[in-house]
Amino acid sequence: MSRIRTRLLTAAVLAGLLAASMIAGCSDADTASTTGPVPSEAGEPGGPLVIYSSRNENFVEPLLEKFTADTGIEVSVLHAGDAVVNKLKEEAGNVQADIIIANDVGALEYLRLEGLLAGLGAVEGIDSIDADYRAADDSWVALSARTRVLMYNKDLITEAELPSRIEDLADPAYEGMFAITRGGNSSMIGHVSALRNEWGDEGTEKWIAAVKDNAGAIMEGHGDIRRAVGAGEFAFGLVNNYYYHQQLAEPTDNNVGVIYPDQGPGDMGAVINGAGVGVIAGGPNPEAAVAFLEWVLLPENQREFSWASLEVPINPDIEVIPDARPIGDYTVHDMPLRELGTVWEDTRTLIERAGLDLELK
Amino acid sequence: MNAVLTRIRARAWKGQPPDGRLSLAAAVIAFVTAMPVAYVAWRSAFAGGERWIRLLDERVPGLVWSTISLSIAVTGVAVALGVALAWLVHRTDLPGRRIWRWALVLPLAIPPYVGAITYIVVFGPRGWVGDWLDAPPPLNIYSFAGALFVLAVFTYPYVFLVVGAALSRMGRAHEEAARSLGLGLLGVLRHITLPMLRPAIGAGAVLVILYVLSDFGAVATLRYTTFTSAIYYQMGGFDTLSATVLSVVLIALTLIVLAVEAHGHRRSRYDSSGPARPADLVELGGWRWAALGFVVTVLAISVLLPVGVLVYWSAIGIAEGALDARFWGYAFNTAQVAGTAALVSMAAALPVVYLRSRHPSPASTVLGRLAYAGYALPGVIVALGLIFFGIRYLPWLYNTAWMIALAYVVRFLPQAMQSTASSLALVSPRTDEAARIAGLSQLGVLARVITPLVRPGLLAGGALVFVSSVKELPATLLLRPAGFDTLAVRVWVEASESVYHLAAPAALVIVALSVLPLKWLLDRY
Repeated sequence: MSRIRTRLLTAAVLAGLLAASMIAGCSDADTASTTGPVPSEAGEPGGPLVIYSSRNENFVEPLLEKFTADTGIEVSVLHAGDAVVNKLKEEAGNVQADIIIANDVGALEYLRLEGLLAGLGAVEGIDSIDADYRAADDSWVALSARTRVLMYNKDLITEAELPSRIEDLADPAYEGMFAITRGGNSSMIGHVSALRNEWGDEGTEKWIAAVKDNAGAIMEGHGDIRRAVGAGEFAFGLVNNYYYHQQLAEPTDNNVGVIYPDQGPGDMGAVINGAGVGVIAGGPNPEAAVAFLEWVLLPENQREFSWASLEVPINPDIEVIPDARPIGDYTVHDMPLRELGTVWEDTRTLIERAGLDLELK
Repeated sequence: MNAVLTRIRARAWKGQPPDGRLSLAAAVIAFVTAMPVAYVAWRSAFAGGERWIRLLDERVPGLVWSTISLSIAVTGVAVALGVALAWLVHRTDLPGRRIWRWALVLPLAIPPYVGAITYIVVFGPRGWVGDWLDAPPPLNIYSFAGALFVLAVFTYPYVFLVVGAALSRMGRAHEEAARSLGLGLLGVLRHITLPMLRPAIGAGAVLVILYVLSDFGAVATLRYTTFTSAIYYQMGGFDTLSATVLSVVLIALTLIVLAVEAHGHRRSRYDSSGPARPADLVELGGWRWAALGFVVTVLAISVLLPVGVLVYWSAIGIAEGALDARFWGYAFNTAQVAGTAALVSMAAALPVVYLRSRHPSPASTVLGRLAYAGYALPGVIVALGLIFFGIRYLPWLYNTAWMIALAYVVRFLPQAMQSTASSLALVSPRTDEAARIAGLSQLGVLARVITPLVRPGLLAGGALVFVSSVKELPATLLLRPAGFDTLAVRVWVEASESVYHLAAPAALVIVALSVLPLKWLLDRY
């Protein structure tokens, strides 16, 4: 048997496979456009509530255990980091999940704009969250906030020596002294979006280009930064405030302090981002989804949601963890959080263009 | 029309078409294994010219460089280690060589992502070495050098195995002739032994290159970006089409390596003439202890230290109650999906292998090749294809544990095929003929005569698939439904949070299971 003939045959069969999938793809596209989303067969009504979460699972698991204990509703959860956003997009025609717990309001609003979240109208308790921190159609709600702060090692630097404004990170006086995360970190993207809103694209791009060279290290995540600052590898770092609280709770390397930047008169205010809960459109178990939303809006559960991650409750009536400053205690940048979703992709592109890698190479 | 089809069918099967149900089964199996990869390639066509150009311009050159430079460097180090160790073990009077012969294969039982985690514990920024020196460790594990180190240490056994097998089969006539003509030890090595080993070295090197191209867990753990980790993280961004584009480039790279290998296979062959008497052992003299030190060092780095780290953290974890109900739940999930994959692979291997053996023809060769598609290509791409395909056409299967089992079958079916084929080769076709004459149909022969006869190979193949499935990481991560984690997923999740006392027990179970099929590997070479 000749080799060439076998090869040709292999190629022909592969081409046939492609053609078959093409035909299948076209017919699928037709049916999808006429019939709309197909209801899922996987999740039965009355079955477990399916939750996708992009938060750290240690923050979420205790909350969900409490939910099941309180309501008797079983939960099936997928912890998959930022990949859940993409998974929800891919599953638009075959919806699997009822609820998304997202680390980022930007991701929630992005999903809403893609038409993947469902507005629920009147949900009990939703008024406890300021309208600035909810979707226009109440399809998602932010519950906890984190503030972009500078945490520092008290052995290496004093509060007076630290930059008081985020803008100053580009100042050569701080060269090599601080650490930031990679550009693709979702908190970093949210922060840059706020800066664009304040300074415009050109100014922001210049700032990123300068800061990436000025920084002593560009790290994978904020956990690396807090440990490095605690260990004295860098004098300070740009993190979310709860990383400061985490380091403070460490048995060693805990001589750290924090400043909330941009608090002077005329300054932009500290940039915040939020974590929250969204309801997936067409999910298999909508009643359980509403039950979960109402449950998580109960004051004790709002507290649990924030405290698990050492974040600050969005709802000013909820008690704050020790040592943290409640929202309203300091000046916050005035961009509504939901705007993060509209500029998300553009901000990623801008960060990459300015030369800050989205992923570490 | 029908006549044309009949003629095509007759030619494809060289005039001896098998039982229709049998060929249909083989065709379905080949389709299922080749489909995910083909579907990724197809989806990339929808990425749009602009996205293609942007990626080819900005992303691909850097990834090609990072991936290829790592592959070549790892292969170089693995070949140097593997050849040196194989020569020492097979051709010298190294003390304890019988033990080293199998001990040096043990690193294959440690999945490189587990190895990477243990080396983060040792060499990480706040690892043991740094603590001990009270300074940053000499090797930055999160770097090219770190990825090179870890991958080389856990892949050199591929070269060691293949080259060792060649050395023990190689007759000594050439070497003796050269020696008698006055060449010294180094001269014989350089002019005779190494050139004769070239095909074996090439085969081992290809195994290492293919491994590095497809590895996801180790490079992602060490934060070194190659194509596989870039594809995975692209899935984490909001852009799956870019992931398909990167996949197509990686598929092309892999196919190039396979093509070069096939080419090399045809060209370089040395006949080992003469009786296969074992060659005389080289007396190392004073070098014996230096050589022994080298072997022990390699073993310490590639087995003792990683396993030691796992045992250390497992002890801490078990003391803190890591073996709780959740742990056993993960173990049960793992056994469920890996066991399903093993059973399905055994059933699926049989028709494909049987047709290749009993009906050698263009059709059976093509079906056999297609069944290899998921094996040769990285698991990230298989998972990507199954996600796209599953969501659209298999909604009842999508987001169930069966989907993970299907991914394992697609990825590891050839392991069951190879082992079944080697058993089937021992069964004479006359057996089939006798059974047919006795009145059995072809399917009857396969079910009642062949299956019992090839059972050892079939079971060994099933065991191999089981163990590979237990270790599998990228497809499991991408395909697991809500609430369904496996041991490998837990190792990944806990280690990424630096919770080593929870990662280690699961990793130790995986390593212990992986030791089992090594015996089969050793018998084979």
